[in-house]
Amino acid sequence: MTVMEKPTAKMDAKKRYSAGVLKYAQMGYWDGDYVPKATDLQALFRITPQEGVDPIEAAAAVAGESSTATWTVVWTDRLTACDSYRAKAFKVEPVPNQPGQYFCWVAYDLVLFEEGSIANLTASIIGNVFSFKPLKAARLEDMYFPPAYVKTFKGPPTGIVVERERLDKFGRPLLGATIKPKLGLSGKNYGRVVYEGLAGGLDFTKDDENINSQQFMHWRDRFLYCMEGVMRATAATGETKGHYLNITAGTMEEMYRRAQFAREMGSVIVMVDLVIGWTAIQSMAEWCRANDMILHMHRAGHGTYTRQKNHGVSFRVIAKWLRLAGVDHLHTGTAVGKLEGDPMTVQGYYNVCRETKNAVDLQRGLFFEQDWCDLRKVMPVASGGIHAGQMHQLLHLFGDDVVMQFGGGTIGHPMGIQAGAIANRVAMETMVLARNEGRDIMAEGPEILRDAAKWCKPLEAALTTWGNVTFDYASTDTSDYVPTPVAS
Amino acid sequence: MRLTQGAFSFLPDLTDTQISAQIEFALAQGWAVSIETTDDPHPRNTYWDMWGMPMFDLKDAAGVMMELKAARTALPERYIRINAFDSTRGWETVRLAFIAHRPPVEARFALDRVEAEGRVQRYALRRVPA
Amino acid sequence: MTMLADPMPGTETPAPPLRQALNLADMYRDSEIGPLLAELDRDLIGLQPVKQRIREIAAYLLVTKARRELGLETSTPTLHMAFTGNPGTGKTTVALRMAGILHRLGYVRRGHLVSVTRDDLVGQYIGHTAPKTKEVLKRAMGGVLFIDEAYYLYRPENEKDYGQEAIEILLQVMENQRDDLVVILAGYADRMQTFFSANPGFRSRIAHHIDFPDYDDEELLRIADLIAEKEGYRFDEGARAALADYVAARRNRPDFANARSIRNAFDRARLRQAIRLFEAGGEVDADALSTITAAEIRSSRVLSRDG
Repeated sequence: MTVMEKPTAKMDAKKRYSAGVLKYAQMGYWDGDYVPKATDLQALFRITPQEGVDPIEAAAAVAGESSTATWTVVWTDRLTACDSYRAKAFKVEPVPNQPGQYFCWVAYDLVLFEEGSIANLTASIIGNVFSFKPLKAARLEDMYFPPAYVKTFKGPPTGIVVERERLDKFGRPLLGATIKPKLGLSGKNYGRVVYEGLAGGLDFTKDDENINSQQFMHWRDRFLYCMEGVMRATAATGETKGHYLNITAGTMEEMYRRAQFAREMGSVIVMVDLVIGWTAIQSMAEWCRANDMILHMHRAGHGTYTRQKNHGVSFRVIAKWLRLAGVDHLHTGTAVGKLEGDPMTVQGYYNVCRETKNAVDLQRGLFFEQDWCDLRKVMPVASGGIHAGQMHQLLHLFGDDVVMQFGGGTIGHPMGIQAGAIANRVAMETMVLARNEGRDIMAEGPEILRDAAKWCKPLEAALTTWGNVTFDYASTDTSDYVPTPVAS
Repeated sequence: MRLTQGAFSFLPDLTDTQISAQIEFALAQGWAVSIETTDDPHPRNTYWDMWGMPMFDLKDAAGVMMELKAARTALPERYIRINAFDSTRGWETVRLAFIAHRPPVEARFALDRVEAEGRVQRYALRRVPA
Repeated sequence: MTMLADPMPGTETPAPPLRQALNLADMYRDSEIGPLLAELDRDLIGLQPVKQRIREIAAYLLVTKARRELGLETSTPTLHMAFTGNPGTGKTTVALRMAGILHRLGYVRRGHLVSVTRDDLVGQYIGHTAPKTKEVLKRAMGGVLFIDEAYYLYRPENEKDYGQEAIEILLQVMENQRDDLVVILAGYADRMQTFFSANPGFRSRIAHHIDFPDYDDEELLRIADLIAEKEGYRFDEGARAALADYVAARRNRPDFANARSIRNAFDRARLRQAIRLFEAGGEVDADALSTITAAEIRSSRVLSRDG
């Protein structure tokens, strides 16, 4: 394509459909006066047009390439009510403090999408447009789904409320740990870590994303030993426990086989990785719904397309798609741990998972009001480089409805795995108690932990070992909107 | 064995002042508090016996504390837990639950196993008589 | 019953050291009961003896608070009260203010008022009363429980009356949970006397009696003006003269209920005014819409000869 000229208004039909190459804006993919219908889907893209490309034409191209457009005029458009199939870019704004970047809003008619299919949705919205040459970069920042579309999905098979009722655990975060080392342990040794962690006080232990069925530990062996650990720990504490059995495999047939075995062994939960793909995720959600299982989603691979701010797909959009597709647990970041995540942006993901309705919240990256139409709530999982000494920060940032996963922070405890679990559980319960009593945990948190450490040796050891560990690097994915100071 | 159900089982048993503060917190959220008791805290025993109905429209924790004391006096050999219900659309469930009284001798469980095919174990949790 | 657990280390706050002296004026100001008392003076017409009693009680509560802070007194004082007087003499209104005063001085934690009668406390069948009474008590905790016409709880003519069960529970809570709620019993003076004679347990637990006198004619007229003003109406000269006749006549009828009778009379007069304006038709101005005339008062059955 050549460098684009200034786009003009729409043309009459005769000129519009004569053979040749037209501007996208002229083809009807830009309408600055368009008011989205109540049944339209909306997408917000961050685009960086090539030098000399007009932002409005670029926005129209995004709308075109994510809906019906092809690079040239086709007369067969005229056999259809083609205007309703065209996505409409209706607003373009420069991104604050980011020269060359623009936010563009695009509306899509409901007819464009098959009901209940994330695969179909993503094939449209992120199908071609991200490779489109006139754009240097494009990022899908946020999406809005009208109730008419939301109601075509079943959503999480279990959800926060039923998960808590099934586990009989209320009023505090859940506590988990990923078994370490992630690779190399035999089934028997692996199950030992499960038992120690759960008997010590964890609610869940977890397979890591790449624990599937390797030579050092075949899946069936792992399931048997893990469930032995789970049931022994349940008997020792009188409390329902679980281990996320990762059923990720090369084919659906194999995943179903592993899921079925997990069910037979009495597990309350199974786990898959994001890399299995949207259709496989929706199928496993169906299976979990039919079998009363919690579905744990590890977001393996997302960083390849969510992390860079100028190109890819924001994780908040992935979280929205996953709530529709139907997962019960979703790794959504820690803000204070070893993995990428600015606190406000991460809170935005949590809100997508847990709220009945999202309000517009630009500082947390939420551009649209979103009614989830009573779809169940997804339990966010905070995992990666967090430890007991950060408990006040974690509780303050994320509240009660979250699984806090302290992998190294449990298994690496100098007094052993059970002591690690006790330290984390005591830190959590003491912090929840203090918060409920009205204490300012952000100010008094370290003192509250030190007081508990006076009677809890494992906590004292944990604070001594990790008390000063922080991961203080600048986030790459931060909000473009900062609160404006007002005179008081 | 110390039964670790409920939100605060890893802390030393809560004092009445601490229990009262948690109830105040629940009431401040607009939750209705109830008391339940059992002599069988098996994790699948969902329905503990209700000590009266959930207490709606309370302004102060004293009312719950009065019932808690009465329950402890009447049933010292049982577990007693405090629940707080949230009727907000989308929750409509318990939002906080914790044990407020334990029997002098705590419950213990044993794990029964039945061998099945292919090294599979069928597990059942059984209450061990005191 | 024994305390079940060790306190959590580190969370117990040590008692603050006792002070040597206090400034009562500062305490009065800090408690912010001044505005409440001023409001009571301003908003309630007449009731001089009641206002005086409330001032005395407020002073007593303030001094008791000071005595406790200096360690001269350690137990919670009994604060339950009896409000006696005829209907419509302001007992409920004053109870609401009293709840505010008790709250600001720290004698109740929340300061709300739960107002009940026998039907809210006493059940219809065996086993019904205790949960009902307890539910009311639990809702009132942290505030004030106002039991109107409390003597109906006690029905000596019926041996199996469930009221006795409610009385026993009430007495127990009034004695054992003085920190948690204050009970105000209200009703006609003579019947309350009989009730207390038959239930000495109550009499001994009531610390403060307040007697609410009937309003005199002039006070009732001022009350009428106040009610009209609040609703955006006024009485013209003729109406005011008619009202004076009305008040004198109304007082002698058996169901006279002081301010409440005046409130009802105003409501009926307002209806009559509306029908008068409606039937006259034509243009009306703001003045006409807000004026109540003698006709609206004089047509009351209280003043009509066949009465």
